[in-house]
Amino acid sequence: MVATTIPQGGASDPKVADWAATHPAIEPVVRAIGLHQAFTSLVFTACILALAVSTALCAWQRTKAALGKANTLRQAAGADKASLTESHALEIACDPALSASEVLSVASGTLGHLGIKTKRRDDVLISKSATWSVWGSPVFHWALLALILTLIVGNLLRSEGLMGVAVGQTKADAADSYGLIHTGPLHDWRRVHRGIRVDAFEPDYQSGGIDRGPTPTVSLLDAAGKVVKTQRVYPNHTLKSGSLTIYPSDYGLSATFSLVSASGAESGRGIMLVDFSDDAAIGTVPIDYLGVSDRAGKPLYRVFVTVPLDRKDGAFVKRVPAQLTARVDATGPDGKSVFVRTMGLGERIALPVGGNLQLDDIGYYARLSVVDDWSIPLLYLSLVAAMVGLTITVVARQQIVSATVIETLDGAKLAVRMRLWRNASSSRSEIESQLTQALNGVETGSTT
Amino acid sequence: MTFEIIVMWVALTFYAAATAMYMFGVTFSKDALTKWALWASAAGLAFQVTSLGIRWARLGHGPYLGFYEVANALVFCVAAFFVIAAARNPRLNAAGVAVMPVAVLLLGGSMLASKSGLPITAKLASYWLFVHVAFANLAFGAFALSFGCAIVYVVRVRSATGKWAKRFEKLPAQDVLENLTVRFVLVGFLFWAMMITTGAIWANEAWGRYWGWDPIETWSLIVWLIYAIYLHVRFALKWRGERLAWFAIVAMLLALFALVGIPLAFNTPHAGIGGYGKDL
Repeated sequence: MVATTIPQGGASDPKVADWAATHPAIEPVVRAIGLHQAFTSLVFTACILALAVSTALCAWQRTKAALGKANTLRQAAGADKASLTESHALEIACDPALSASEVLSVASGTLGHLGIKTKRRDDVLISKSATWSVWGSPVFHWALLALILTLIVGNLLRSEGLMGVAVGQTKADAADSYGLIHTGPLHDWRRVHRGIRVDAFEPDYQSGGIDRGPTPTVSLLDAAGKVVKTQRVYPNHTLKSGSLTIYPSDYGLSATFSLVSASGAESGRGIMLVDFSDDAAIGTVPIDYLGVSDRAGKPLYRVFVTVPLDRKDGAFVKRVPAQLTARVDATGPDGKSVFVRTMGLGERIALPVGGNLQLDDIGYYARLSVVDDWSIPLLYLSLVAAMVGLTITVVARQQIVSATVIETLDGAKLAVRMRLWRNASSSRSEIESQLTQALNGVETGSTT
Repeated sequence: MTFEIIVMWVALTFYAAATAMYMFGVTFSKDALTKWALWASAAGLAFQVTSLGIRWARLGHGPYLGFYEVANALVFCVAAFFVIAAARNPRLNAAGVAVMPVAVLLLGGSMLASKSGLPITAKLASYWLFVHVAFANLAFGAFALSFGCAIVYVVRVRSATGKWAKRFEKLPAQDVLENLTVRFVLVGFLFWAMMITTGAIWANEAWGRYWGWDPIETWSLIVWLIYAIYLHVRFALKWRGERLAWFAIVAMLLALFALVGIPLAFNTPHAGIGGYGKDL
């Protein structure tokens, strides 16, 4: 509860930093007890484990109880007049004018009115729930335990990250392809052999009369580079293949450069990704930089690239601008600016190490959320089992009511035996009072 | 003011009248008035369904988005659950004195909110929206009835002079009322679980993750765990009586807070009850 009132994330997260700045008095305490990352803290993990253990114990207890109830239900099926006469919960005096058969008919009608449907077998009325009705709760608890364990194992095996891929670019599904990645300690990258390619990008894709938002078309490639699956990905239309789910998280622009020799031969190519930013002077900020070194490998400067955006009504238009230019900002190792150039498509900048940097293209890139999690089908399976178990627990009645007429020195009495475990339509006292009223007698007490 | 909104005001008026009739009927032991209160509740429900139907036809989607629509859907479930339960079992009718004020307050609050229709965005364009929201509404309806039964239970227990116990004498016996409270909690617990389950599946489809510890997700889980504790103290620890009734009352208020309060209190990307036009 407390954690929901405090921003979650690392110290560098803007929301966390803002909160820390506005709550300087309690921030050290919050940080010390890990409340900014409450749901991955050791205390929380311990709580989850405690929940798993208590669920297991409860499941075990429910199973034992269900076995006992199932046994009682089986025994109840064999209830006869002799056993009921010997052992019953209450006796209800009956109107002497009623015959035994009439008493049973009246009792059956009264119980039916209370939602207890009885069957008549010789001289005995019996209402017995189905044996499966007692297994709902154990199934629910075991499924819940399976769910918790699957969640734990899934988090150990899972990998989830954000990967920026420019249109036309293919990236290997490997840790260093991601800008941000969370990987479980048991996730094995050596088993992952695939590539992800963005084939196209539609900033205003519409289908079914709904604006789907910026939509990339993504291809999943196998180890040999063969396309396994291609589709547009947008909310509620993720690309799924095996354990992999690809979802569009965000988008930005990409600037493609090539290194060209004085003779015009291309010696290398690089794609720089830029994000939109309302705070930036020209509307974009670089995500990373291009390092330029001399022939000896000594870093000379870092090249940062941004793309000037068009403006409309005073705001930046988050689209590829009409004028395709890139601003190249080179800074030295000391952080001082070496040069700043704005270049158009096909223009070149001479590099001090020789050769030229040429701007080839400006387009979109898609930031894809890529999740590799084998546990999701198992999670769904556990959830379905839990829901089935819970539905049985909630809907199915667990009760036994049996009755017969016995002759005593005080006249005929209805001997009733009942076990009302769960979801009974009525209570013991109500059954007793309604039967007493219907049979026009006076309840004369319990015998067991 | 459009016809649709006028009809909704009529529904609210009927609900308010039903609440007043329940209060007078129960306080002064006027059975006829509580019977009329049930008819007024049913009339309010009919008007509310009409208004929601007109809105659904106009906007092309059900009452899922924004405080006005979602609170309306919750009230619909509370009123429908109650009217059906009281019609089937007239002995439950007097519980309306606790249930109908919940409907009136929630619907009254929604009438103060913006009533403009919000469009279905890409993230909401899924059949899971209907399923997820429907289960949330059904769960709240069941919890509201458990709340009503528990309130009546407590009032009867606390009636030192017996006057209030007499006023509620038409209701089922205390143990039956307690069983009913537990059964409504069980039904609500199931629907709430289905709401969380369908929400997780939908989140995986829409956002690529099944759980994100969003405040609404977290509070939904908290409420579910609280009701799980309620069921365990009832069935495993054999709690009965007034303290169990108080548990049901507090738990329902927490459920209401999770559905209505959290979207108001936190800036959550989750649609929930208070989309308020946020970018979803």
